[in-house]
Amino acid sequence: MDVRQFKDKVFQAGREAGLEEMEIYAVSSKDLSIRVFQKEVDDYTLSVGQGVGFRARFAGKIGYAYAETLDEDSVYMLVEGAKANAQIIDSEDEIVFFAGAEDYPTVKAYNPELEQVTPEAKIEYAKELEKEAFAADERVSLVNWAAVGYREAEAYIANTLGLEQSFSRNGAYTYVSALVKENEQVKSGGRSRYSNSWADFNARELAKEAVGEAASLLNADTVKSGEYRVLLRYDVVRTFLATFASVFSAEAVQKGLSLLAGKLGEQIASPLVTLIDDPLLENGAASTPFDGEGVPTRTKDVIAAGELKTYLHNLKTAKKDGVESTGNASRASFKSTVGISPTNFYIKPGELGYEELVRELGSGLIIISVQGAHSGANPVSGDFSLGAYGYLVEDGKIARPVDQITIAGNFFQLLQDVEAIGSDLEFGGPGMGGNVGAPSLIVTKLAVAGN
Amino acid sequence: MLSERIVTDVLLAALSTGGDFAEIFMEDTYNTSISMIDGKVEQGVNGRDYGVGIRIYQGFRSVYAYTNNTSRENLMKVALEAAAALAGSRQVQSIVLNRMCVEKFNPVRLEPQRVGQKEKVEVMKRAHNAAANFHEQISQVAITYLDVDQSVFIANSEGLMVDDRRIRTRLGINAVASKGNEKQSAFRGPGRHMGFELYEQIDVEEIARDAAQSAVTMVNADYAPSGKYPVIIDNEFGGVIFHEACGHGLEATSVAKGASVFAGKLGQKVASEIVTAVDDGSIPNAWGSQNIDDEGFKTRRNVLIENGILKGYMIDRLNGRRMGMEPTGNSRRQSYKYAPTSRMTNTFICAGESTKEEIIANTEYALFARRMGGGSVNPATGEFNFAVAEGYIVRNGKIEKPVRGATLIGKGSDVLLKIDMVGSNLATGQGMCGSLSGSIPADVGQPTIRVTEMTVGGRKEAE
Repeated sequence: MDVRQFKDKVFQAGREAGLEEMEIYAVSSKDLSIRVFQKEVDDYTLSVGQGVGFRARFAGKIGYAYAETLDEDSVYMLVEGAKANAQIIDSEDEIVFFAGAEDYPTVKAYNPELEQVTPEAKIEYAKELEKEAFAADERVSLVNWAAVGYREAEAYIANTLGLEQSFSRNGAYTYVSALVKENEQVKSGGRSRYSNSWADFNARELAKEAVGEAASLLNADTVKSGEYRVLLRYDVVRTFLATFASVFSAEAVQKGLSLLAGKLGEQIASPLVTLIDDPLLENGAASTPFDGEGVPTRTKDVIAAGELKTYLHNLKTAKKDGVESTGNASRASFKSTVGISPTNFYIKPGELGYEELVRELGSGLIIISVQGAHSGANPVSGDFSLGAYGYLVEDGKIARPVDQITIAGNFFQLLQDVEAIGSDLEFGGPGMGGNVGAPSLIVTKLAVAGN
Repeated sequence: MLSERIVTDVLLAALSTGGDFAEIFMEDTYNTSISMIDGKVEQGVNGRDYGVGIRIYQGFRSVYAYTNNTSRENLMKVALEAAAALAGSRQVQSIVLNRMCVEKFNPVRLEPQRVGQKEKVEVMKRAHNAAANFHEQISQVAITYLDVDQSVFIANSEGLMVDDRRIRTRLGINAVASKGNEKQSAFRGPGRHMGFELYEQIDVEEIARDAAQSAVTMVNADYAPSGKYPVIIDNEFGGVIFHEACGHGLEATSVAKGASVFAGKLGQKVASEIVTAVDDGSIPNAWGSQNIDDEGFKTRRNVLIENGILKGYMIDRLNGRRMGMEPTGNSRRQSYKYAPTSRMTNTFICAGESTKEEIIANTEYALFARRMGGGSVNPATGEFNFAVAEGYIVRNGKIEKPVRGATLIGKGSDVLLKIDMVGSNLATGQGMCGSLSGSIPADVGQPTIRVTEMTVGGRKEAE
């Protein structure tokens, strides 16, 4: 049954079961992903999916349930599940439902032209990626990823207070990864891109970058342990930002899980750093006119010239702090409870091109990849210790590739230590949520473990 | 779940454009998750995951499609849409389904769906209290409760028709210790392929106190010295090192494409001769066990490395085709939303001869990683990284002091060759492993082992 009909049924059944306010958050999506291996389509996955998240108040507390099939069994399961869960809640947090607003911003994130790109054209593109990667360097031994995907999704939210909004978004992503082999040594390099304009997908350019990077890492060696001045490439900065994004959440602050507690209005970063959350970005991967609670979204500086301006709020945390929601309520999926997350979240770019940054670095390390951010970084303390590789820079020039090192430091210190910001802002591909962006930047020092 | 008539029709529709094999995977899963912070239940979610995945092969090509709508009409439509990605004429004319019975070796006594939410919360409170009252430096305790009841139905064009039910239960305990501005957290996550009777078999309080102990020890610890030196990795969750650094490279997913350092090395020495390693999905009630894998093959014990020699890989049907080898019962997927591929189940280094005490007593200087955090690996190069969640410095045969913030990096193939002592105290720990076919429960394990040299990353200069 249609989601609007289903909503009516659930609300009806909920009223009969004694539930108070109720809310439906539904997502319907269409996906296609294609991977080519040795000139053949190796994987072709298509899906049409839907899901409904339900939350309801019973005896003052909120319970959740979700289902993926919109049938009578699910109506019953959602109502009974949410009711049972409401009854075990101890938390005294006051949860408010949103009745809807007069005005919502206009946001463009659906490109009908992208939808028209045929599966055949996508297969051709993926084949091209593999071909171009092999063509880029004769030492390419394997192209282990040549993939492209498309996704469109519609989010729909409605509650018993009268809120009813929906929004559609689409986008495509691509990933290429190649192995370059020389004298029994293997190095890999990869590139990804997310966009909802098909013209942004240039197979040759992407393959060349991936292969070029792998080749540039051949004969890498470790460096002497010690402190180094470091240039973090834009994608590494992005990884840091994504890993530590939770420290800006008011929820983490209120629960004592963010060291930014009590720091509003203080200088928490170098004056060069401005951090923006922009849900209205045209064609952004996380652009949306309303958040996970139906609140209208808006653009704001989270850090302006080094000063912490705001935490990210949903209705619950805003009420607790006596402020307005910043429109950052999130539903990671229809299965998730309401949390907080940034939308299109990026560090404002500076003036210097990448080459100029390398010259500016003088001597030090360029880090182009870090590994293990999910385990080697602690968002609570800000401490990190991560596997890394990149290049050694001497006299403003790349001297040689470096691998088998770790970099260690603290995220909050790193924000203070920013000495220069590049102009090369780029948003992430899939796996990075696509919604985090950063330029490359130079930091005063990080502890490097090597030899 | 689906009638034989519908299954046959959908499989034949999937094979209409020249596919040589088709499969239906249907799932109806009920799950519960409850989270508690500082002794208060914050959230409870009940969910139902439901859908069908249809897979078609044509030689080495694979097409996958999934949907939540399981009406005959929609399944036929999805099967034909998937088939449209292939081009050719029909090869398979008819299908005769044979229902297969599987031996259920993972008995479940207390189905979680029949246990009330309040009883589940009671277990959480026990864990919370034990951790919170352990020490004054414990500043926060977060407990998560999970249970999953997955019913699957698998049928394919070779006539297989089988169903299975997997019930899993797990408790997550996260203890945070604070000292001034500093915080350190420690996690324990006991889980089994069984029902609510898990909580009669494990000592929830003791596990919670162990987490609290770990967090308190680490918040009071100095930073680990960086450099290259010997590392002793303790048993149980320490096996994550083998899982990440070697296990992923032994999955057919990487081997079949030559994207693994272990490709083409069967019969060769890849590890020190005191190392034997196994993947075994048939251990009753273990976290990563299943009666059958997600392609319907029986799970079994697969020897990966025996006395240092590479003996076998973990192989799914499609990669088995590519490699010309038989599947090994390792095909797994998070849900119907993923095509299955070769994955680990319960993977561990087998017990050796030394005792843990002997290993420590015989070591002049080393990092003793009592508890590993997570890690990741690039299977193509074997380069890995791990966080050490709880570490100590061993000096002159004795544990000297706790250290924190250490990271281990290296290449799996190097580390395997550098293992020079293997303990007798094999134990396993539970994890969620993320890869191509989603996030799945997997046991890691090993006895205490010693590695002659690893690169230890940390914030402090070498001693």
